[in-house]
Amino acid sequence: MFKSIFCGLSIFCLGAVARAQGPGYVFSEEDKIYQKVADVNIAYDGEVRSLSGLYSQGPVVIALIYTRCSGVCNPFLLQVKENMLVADSDERSRVLVVSFDPRDGSGEMRRLAIRYGLDNDGGWIFATTPQISELINSVGFNPVWDSVRAQFDHEALLVGINDEGFITRKLTGLRDFNAFTSLLRSIRNEFILSYPLPNENMVFSCFSYNPETGKNQPGTGLLLLLLPALLSLVVVFVLSRRHDRKPRF
Amino acid sequence: MATLQLKKLTSVWIITILVLFVLAIVFGILMRFNQGNAIHLSPVGFYSMMTIHGLTMIGIWFVAGMAAVNFLLQRYIKVSAGINVFALVLTVIGVVMLWLVTFVGEFHTGWTFLYPLPFRGAWKEWATPLFLLALGVLGIGWFVWSAGMLFQIFRKYRPAQAFAWQHLRKGSPEIETPPFILISTVTLIGIITCLVAAVLLLVLYFAEYFSSGSFVNDALLMKNLTFFFGHTLANEMLYLGLASLYELFPEVSGRPKFKMTWYVALAWNCTMVFILTAFFHHMYMDFVQPFAFQVIGQMASYFASVPAAAVTAFSVLAVVIKNPIRWSLTNTLFFVGVTGWLIGGVGAVIDATISNNFVLHNTLWVPAHFHTYNAIGNVLFSLAFFNWAANEFGGKGHTDKFTRLKMTLLIIGGSGFVIMFYIGGAYSVPRRFNVYPQEFSSLSILASAGALFACLYLAVIVWFLVNTVNKCLKVFSAA
Ligand code: HEM
Repeated sequence: MFKSIFCGLSIFCLGAVARAQGPGYVFSEEDKIYQKVADVNIAYDGEVRSLSGLYSQGPVVIALIYTRCSGVCNPFLLQVKENMLVADSDERSRVLVVSFDPRDGSGEMRRLAIRYGLDNDGGWIFATTPQISELINSVGFNPVWDSVRAQFDHEALLVGINDEGFITRKLTGLRDFNAFTSLLRSIRNEFILSYPLPNENMVFSCFSYNPETGKNQPGTGLLLLLLPALLSLVVVFVLSRRHDRKPRF
Repeated sequence: MATLQLKKLTSVWIITILVLFVLAIVFGILMRFNQGNAIHLSPVGFYSMMTIHGLTMIGIWFVAGMAAVNFLLQRYIKVSAGINVFALVLTVIGVVMLWLVTFVGEFHTGWTFLYPLPFRGAWKEWATPLFLLALGVLGIGWFVWSAGMLFQIFRKYRPAQAFAWQHLRKGSPEIETPPFILISTVTLIGIITCLVAAVLLLVLYFAEYFSSGSFVNDALLMKNLTFFFGHTLANEMLYLGLASLYELFPEVSGRPKFKMTWYVALAWNCTMVFILTAFFHHMYMDFVQPFAFQVIGQMASYFASVPAAAVTAFSVLAVVIKNPIRWSLTNTLFFVGVTGWLIGGVGAVIDATISNNFVLHNTLWVPAHFHTYNAIGNVLFSLAFFNWAANEFGGKGHTDKFTRLKMTLLIIGGSGFVIMFYIGGAYSVPRRFNVYPQEFSSLSILASAGALFACLYLAVIVWFLVNTVNKCLKVFSAA
């Protein structure tokens, strides 16, 4: 009796602890995929236009940055610019660089464009929006203000939007050219194969990823596929064990 | 001799299955009319119907096969009535839960509920856990039922005898294993294996559901497990139907019972092993799946189906060719069922060949072949058993003056319905679309034509239901 109460309570407590553990900050490239981006107003070139007006003219890549960033924003923008230069001309799309810092105004964004030499490039738009929380919520981007460093804690996020406003692909971090072109192709509604990389929350992954070699090796998940057959063998063994068979042939 | 209790139980199974079958066909017809633009269902309505149609059909024809095997097994061994009742109760509870989940909870993932869809749903929050729970309830009932029957088989036959291995050696064996016992044994083992896969799958789903993100599943593993369970179960239910055919077809045709031979033993042992990896053919489009698995999938698809199909066709033809046969509704249903199974099987093997799958994957070719070996294959095996059992219970002879009419309508309705799927598949019309895109709209007329043929099929099933239920109910008034 005592044992079962103890076991029951332990299972309950462990379950409650597991449930209470929030996932913390999640970088999920699958989050919000195939959902519509919020149709916010964006300000650039001295005018305010709707985002839907922009993407209905053709797919858009959104880069979320802020001008006072001392971290990833600069290398991130630089890499996007380089990738765009190398990408095939028929694959290129407009890049909408939006600041998620309410302190940024059109002056800051214009200076940023000049610094990157993109102020006269029709493929690039440097904008701000009065509805930044709507925009970042709709794409699953969650910058957190760190008052000690006076900086936002955030990832580098590129969001691909097709001409109907659907988020077709997201890229987190500084990513290689292949990933970048896959984003460009996906916003043109091309089907792109994808598979989430194994991570520590994925205990039974079919592959284990070796970051040193960059290769995937068969993982526990594939082994798990043997389990039903092995367990059935055990069941057959158990069912057929005892018995004083009295043949009735 | 079957006990009265077993007859009553089998009657309850038969009546429940036939009623659910009629409802599920009605859903199928509505879906097909919707694809033909003849009626307009909401997308949620369509996909809920598609989900419950698939689940109900797979579920009822699985339990139909189980009920038949359970009934016929008592000719050789003692079967447990308690376990049969247990399975019946859990099946009814599970089915009610599934219908609630789909029609009230609007759960509409399709019967394959591919991960991560159940977690991404546009349906009521309670629907996903209740759906998984319903599968658990059904799984427990069916596992206990299968294990119970297997246990009884092993009480009389050693495993090697149940697998008929003595027939693989030279010379005539001392003990002969009836083909019915061999097929039931290999099938029940397959069922237990796929139900274990289902348990693993459910555990992984629940682990993710309750972990609030600290445990996530691997989509590739989940898809493998889903098809390990789903594809294998859908195939095993066919073998349950074939077990009844091996037992009853010669008997109702007035011919001697099928004898066990080395090739029958070999074919069914092959089926037992290879069917467990044939599901890899569902993963050809999964580019991360190791290539070796794809090759195994193709090979296993051939080895699991071709030998068993060949020996069955050969055995059935040996009975009917050059022999005077007493044709009745029962053996005609079996005979036409074998034809439907073989035609559908060829369609399946074509699709299970990697190079073809690149063209046919997820087109209407898929529902075309599986409806062929189900609607005009396996279903007819079970209907044959139902008809035979109802005649036994109802105390009437096995003659039915409408056999020819019923069979003609059933064949026209059934083949017309699947041919429309095949033509759609050949033109690359995608499956599981509630309304076809512009590019295929000219072909939507095929869908309405398919639905009309299905109405003919439905009419025969309703006729069959009325006759069969009347006879089955007589068991309850018997002393
Ligand atoms: C004449 C009777 C039937 C009709 C009218 C019918 C109709 C349909 C239709 C229209 C679909 C959707 C096809 C698509 O993918 O676009 C479907 C799917 C399906 N049917 Fe049937 N069907 C019938 C009989 C059966 C039988 C006898 C079985 C099995 C024993 C069956 C099992 C299934 C399954 C498993 C699916 C797939 C559901 C899914 O994709 O989730 N059907 N059926």
